[in-house]
Amino acid sequence: MNEIWNTLGEAACDGFFAAIAAIGFSIISNPPLRTLPYCALLAAVGHATRFLLTSSAGMDIASASFSGAFLIGWLSLPFASIVKSPTTTLYIPALLPMVPGMFAYKTILAMHQFMTHLNDNDAASFYMNDFLKNGVTAFTILFGLAVGASLPTLILRRYSFSMTRNKDKKRPATTETI
Amino acid sequence: MEETIHDRLKSLAVFLAEYATSLLSSGVHTSRIVRNSKRIADSFGYQMHITLLQKSVIITVRTNDNEHSYSIVSGIKPMPISFELNSDLSALSWDAYDRHLDIDKLWEGYRKALSKPKLNFWIVWLLVSLANAAFCRLFGGDIAACIAVFAATAVGFGIRQILLKKHVNHYYIWFLSAFCAALCTSPMFFFGWGNTPHIAMGTSVLFLVPGVPLINGIIDIVEGHVLSGTARLINAMLLITCLSMGLLCALMITGGNVQ
Repeated sequence: MNEIWNTLGEAACDGFFAAIAAIGFSIISNPPLRTLPYCALLAAVGHATRFLLTSSAGMDIASASFSGAFLIGWLSLPFASIVKSPTTTLYIPALLPMVPGMFAYKTILAMHQFMTHLNDNDAASFYMNDFLKNGVTAFTILFGLAVGASLPTLILRRYSFSMTRNKDKKRPATTETI
Repeated sequence: MEETIHDRLKSLAVFLAEYATSLLSSGVHTSRIVRNSKRIADSFGYQMHITLLQKSVIITVRTNDNEHSYSIVSGIKPMPISFELNSDLSALSWDAYDRHLDIDKLWEGYRKALSKPKLNFWIVWLLVSLANAAFCRLFGGDIAACIAVFAATAVGFGIRQILLKKHVNHYYIWFLSAFCAALCTSPMFFFGWGNTPHIAMGTSVLFLVPGVPLINGIIDIVEGHVLSGTARLINAMLLITCLSMGLLCALMITGGNVQ
């Protein structure tokens, strides 16, 4: 029982730091201030989910990222209708702490190491392995994140594309074409 | 003089070109740009087709019976990513659709959205530094590493903002900021501060990772806009390569490591 509480505590801690990271990284992109609390909440939930899945459930990091992003995607729908902002302005900032930046630059560093050890076969194959490992990890995580978060929006097309619509002044339904 | 159908098509096309390029450069994924612009054209009772490339957009507005059309090609202006603009311009397109705004009202709404004040630089600066320090904690850095990353990000982000203001080439900026940020954490290696200097050095450059174009690129590809999605991904990858090179130079000079 104690172990479960410990894990949950760690996950909460993970989510807290992810929320700070999400606020800071998204503020570079000039977000509407009303969306920031929701972005932070989404980031915390998503990152903690990923943490729990990788540490306790033994899931690989790409599938866990997909699951976290999928959750973020669903939650972004009700939040977007509250703040009247497109769902992307909520889920992209929330995904930022999960973007595999470290894997991405380690790919480049491994490529550099590969080139410097070109004449040493063993070292070269070690660094090539490193290059592929980091590159594939970075790409699959990124793909999982983007697809996971955008799936809910795509499933509920009609609803999710009208988040910024002013509901009181709706045009009569007969003329609706898009 | 009577306003002809050609004048009306032209004024709408000019507005849509301005509108679409602003959306594109403020970091909106392609299918939303297409949808928003079509919605505005639809509120005037016209059809619209748009081709988005990385450096320019091609827009054709035509009447429903195909009698008249007007095409325009417009270059894309460099603008910082802005989610607020994304939100406001999307709202403008629904307003146009629901309330049949005329072209002057549209321009007014567009200019209003564009002239909104930006966030205070010092607040952004503080929050970004805090964010990267929190990120360092997520990767398992200790308190000394977090403080070092905070300082390194403050320096790196400051350099990035100053150089962006001076319109220096982005690749140089990414290289230099990553280099300086990584250098700022190097005293941890020399003086033996904390137990995780490699994590500090590894996370100090992560505030430069272009997360928004990376995610937008994948979304674009998945939704069928393969060309613009690939272009976004390649742009982002070049920036990541530049920041890796900056980090690499710092690693070589100081003899540190990120493993």
